[in-house]
Amino acid sequence: MADNLLAIEDLHVEVEGKEIIRGLNLSLDKGEIHAIMGPNGSGKSTLAYVLTGRPGYEVTAGKVFYKGEDVLDLAPDERAKRGIFLAFQYPTEVPGVSVVNFMRTAYNAIHSDAQKSAMAFRMYLQEKIDLLEIPSELVDRYVNQGFSGGEKKRNEVLQMAVLEPELAIMDETDSGLDIDALRHVSEGVNKLAGPDVGIMLITHYQRLLNYIRPDKVHVLMQGQIVTSGGFELAERLEAEGYAQVGEEFGLSQEALAELKQKEKE
Amino acid sequence: MTDGYLTKAAAQRLADDLGEPGWLAERRTEAFDLYEKLDYPDPKGEEWRYTNVRGFDFERFSSPVPGGAAPLLPDDLAAKGVIFEDFRTAAAEHPELLKEHFFTDVPVDEHKFTALHAAFHSDDILVYVPRGVEVTMPLEVARRVSSGGSIFPHTSIVVEAQAALTFVDRFGSEDFPDPSLCASVVEIQAGRGGMVNYISLQDWGRTVSHFQTQRFTGGRDSTVRSLAVNLGSSFARTQVESVLKGEGAFSEMLGLYFADSDQHFAQRTLQFHDGPHGTSDLLYKGALKERSRSEYSGLIKVAKGAQGTDAYQANRNLLLSDESLAHSIPQLEIEANEVRCTHGATVSPVEEEHLFYLMSRGIDRVTAQKLVVFGFFRDVLDRIRVPGVRDDLSDAISAKVEGDKRLEVAV
Ligand SMILES: Nc1ncnc2c1ncn2[C@@H]1O[C@H](COP(=O)(O)OP(=O)(O)OP(=O)(O)O)[C@@H](O)[C@H]1O
Ligand SMILES: [Mg+2]
Repeated sequence: MADNLLAIEDLHVEVEGKEIIRGLNLSLDKGEIHAIMGPNGSGKSTLAYVLTGRPGYEVTAGKVFYKGEDVLDLAPDERAKRGIFLAFQYPTEVPGVSVVNFMRTAYNAIHSDAQKSAMAFRMYLQEKIDLLEIPSELVDRYVNQGFSGGEKKRNEVLQMAVLEPELAIMDETDSGLDIDALRHVSEGVNKLAGPDVGIMLITHYQRLLNYIRPDKVHVLMQGQIVTSGGFELAERLEAEGYAQVGEEFGLSQEALAELKQKEKE
Repeated sequence: MTDGYLTKAAAQRLADDLGEPGWLAERRTEAFDLYEKLDYPDPKGEEWRYTNVRGFDFERFSSPVPGGAAPLLPDDLAAKGVIFEDFRTAAAEHPELLKEHFFTDVPVDEHKFTALHAAFHSDDILVYVPRGVEVTMPLEVARRVSSGGSIFPHTSIVVEAQAALTFVDRFGSEDFPDPSLCASVVEIQAGRGGMVNYISLQDWGRTVSHFQTQRFTGGRDSTVRSLAVNLGSSFARTQVESVLKGEGAFSEMLGLYFADSDQHFAQRTLQFHDGPHGTSDLLYKGALKERSRSEYSGLIKVAKGAQGTDAYQANRNLLLSDESLAHSIPQLEIEANEVRCTHGATVSPVEEEHLFYLMSRGIDRVTAQKLVVFGFFRDVLDRIRVPGVRDDLSDAISAKVEGDKRLEVAV
């Protein structure tokens, strides 16, 4: 257990008094890529936020170990310093703060033993910009302000490339990207991936998984991982929908009815 | 001679000590009589709303001791006819100029504090820039006060047609054991096509009360810029009034304030469009920490003949604590019919969501707050044209967010 990069044990999480994560277990090793798929509202983003320490998410039971350390009591910046990164589903706009200044502050905080001067950082940043083929004028603008949906997502991936985390959680980074952008983002993720890095990809689409091959696919429903498998599970979800899979793995009747209703729409 | 308080005799003695000519000395005693007659400003009136100074105790301050450093004017500017001198020198060398520009724009009896100022003005500065002369380097003065003392600095600036000047007025001290007082008056005139940029930086120690009235009068096609900064003192009231008199005058009015602990800042602005086709652009931004308070009240006034006026006014407040409080009251008084006036006011807390996003990248909470606060002040900072001032303000903002040690000194 202690060898896992990430180990989640029987996690229960409440948001505003409502239980959203209901006994979730998951472990992820270094060098692995896991995909998490699940219907809208099943708790995927909630899981991502709990792992990164967003205020307002109350853990009522369970534990989260990262590199063997219980991280649930750590502030978000402490977790980031240990190597946890979240690419947000809905990146936040921060008025008046330039991307380059923000990223340099973050880089120097995380890599405090290898801080970069403004000039050195600019050059380092340019390498990552070239790698991801991101319009370089983006980094002189204010963080996510006036960015298009796709630009926001690419900016998240740029931050990931710059900060070089050891556990990257990507929450629907593929949603809203055009075909070329999806390819660039996937290439970026594949470059980051390696024997020392773990990646958790939250997605609705098998399309992303064609570019980034997951070692495991988990299905998250009603705040639990109902089943896990390989790439073929993603293919099956795409073909059959969540209701079918949910039925097979013992989702409650109300939950199934709700899902079927949504799928009809 | 220095142990006197703010009495009529002390005002007279001040004139004697400075060797002032009769006309100047008489003004002091007349003003003192006015000061005694005038009531405290009414906190129910628009101008002093939320700012109750009734019962403000003037008797505890010792009278001012003149003797600030003499203004230094580079030789090449002196050769071009630029004047930069204290009133004592001006009264001897340029009495007509002084008579014409001292207490002509701000009336002595405007309120109790201006009257007291007129009785005790000290460390005064007169700046005159002749027609067509552009002063490229900013002129600066630094005002000081002592523990338990008072200072009444007067700044009179005249920039003639097609001339240009930037002036930085600094008010600063350490934290004193005893309360001190500063009541300052600033009168600035820009002639046709003249340009003036006046910056007042208030960073007094925590035991100083600061009252300031600034009035600008812009002639035809003139450009008048002002920046009013409040960082220090226990209580500060800053009144900034821009009168756009000549046709096509432009006025930029910037304000930046950052209050913490029990500080209380009040700012009152006036954009008075008295001539046609004037443009005024006002942006006042403030951050508030701990139990501090601020008030902003701003009036856009457009006279009947001021057709084609374009006036903009915005006041934005960022609250860094639940206990801090900001009031914002915009007002319009428009008598012309072809005008465009826009105003807006906001008071909003720091968004936890912004902090979380920054912290999720490894940035600690205080640094995240600093980024957010700088982001908030960004547009004001970007518009400050004097790099040294911008740097000083950046340092001060950083220290404020971090909680500078001096803040622990009780008020
Ligand atoms: N602040 C909140 N207040 C109340 N309910 C919340 C809050 N945040 C999340 N929820 C609820 O928790 C559930 C899970 O939300 P979450 O965002 O984790 O879903 P998701 O799986 O990421 O969905 P999607 O695929 O649409 O992104 C939803 O029913 C949502 O409405
Ligand atoms: Mg989500």
